[in-house]
Amino acid sequence: MNLFRFACASLLAGAATLAQAKPIAFSQGTTVMAEYGAGTMTEAQVFYAPKYFLSLGGGYLDLESDIDHRRREITYARVNYLVKRWNMEDAQANVFVWGGAGQAYVSELDQHQFAGNAGAQFDYETRRIYASLKTDLHRAEAFSHRVDTLQLGIAPYKHDFDSLATWFVLQGRQYTGGIHDGTEWALLLRLFKRGAWVEAGVTDEGKLQAMAMVNF
Amino acid sequence: MKKLSFIAFALLIGTANAGTIEMKVYGLVCGFCAQGIEKTLRKNPATADVVVSLENKLVAVATRDGQDISDADLTKALTDSGYDVKGIARTQRSLDDIRTELKQEKK
Repeated sequence: MNLFRFACASLLAGAATLAQAKPIAFSQGTTVMAEYGAGTMTEAQVFYAPKYFLSLGGGYLDLESDIDHRRREITYARVNYLVKRWNMEDAQANVFVWGGAGQAYVSELDQHQFAGNAGAQFDYETRRIYASLKTDLHRAEAFSHRVDTLQLGIAPYKHDFDSLATWFVLQGRQYTGGIHDGTEWALLLRLFKRGAWVEAGVTDEGKLQAMAMVNF
Repeated sequence: MKKLSFIAFALLIGTANAGTIEMKVYGLVCGFCAQGIEKTLRKNPATADVVVSLENKLVAVATRDGQDISDADLTKALTDSGYDVKGIARTQRSLDDIRTELKQEKK
């Protein structure tokens, strides 16, 4: 068992989890996010939330197959909706859904096509553990790609409102439609304080996985 | 049961007095997400200062001299931020007192 797999197993054994990005941060807040996903996906998003349960905005997603190097450059407008939130004394859980539409460049055809987007996320978190499962579908006439992401996190200490939050996160991600074979695992270090969030780590193939986000 | 919990909460943190309002709030687990609470409360012209403690599930508001924010308005502000208010009490503690106590609790 190599070091990476041992670390993954240890994290899972700890049954812990972390705070993951939510598609809606807070009412009348703006969220700007950029993610670099191991060379396979690059995404940037901007959302504004007029209500705590609704945000509107758009994004850019670049998917590049690490099998045959086909590319999709998708620009989309999206609506995110909080279907249900459970506020517990020491925990919170959420169900989000989203939908949108835009345009995709399809490299093997060298043409642009209309593209639709739909997804959902469930998350549960305390101040020490976090779990989330997200599915994100992008579809056009020439392709259908679903990106499924599982995140499990553990915090070594309980952060508070004005203190730095530190999380160790195990991420598993699967792509459909010939973007990547199998599950891509990554170990991440996540740090956030008030409105600023950064995370970075490495995949089981030794590639960089990173994300930055600000809320204001 | 909820009423009893609220009375116990109010007794625990002090007698009623204008100036500081302390709220027990459920769902406070992430500072990144809870910053919307502070942002919303600070928009109220009667708000002088705000303290949020995830550890104590506490949101405390200091009001400006001679001003108050009704329980209904506070509950709406927290609910519209996506959180559940479980109790509201007007106390004699200043926000500086609360900050000091929170720091001592961490030691």
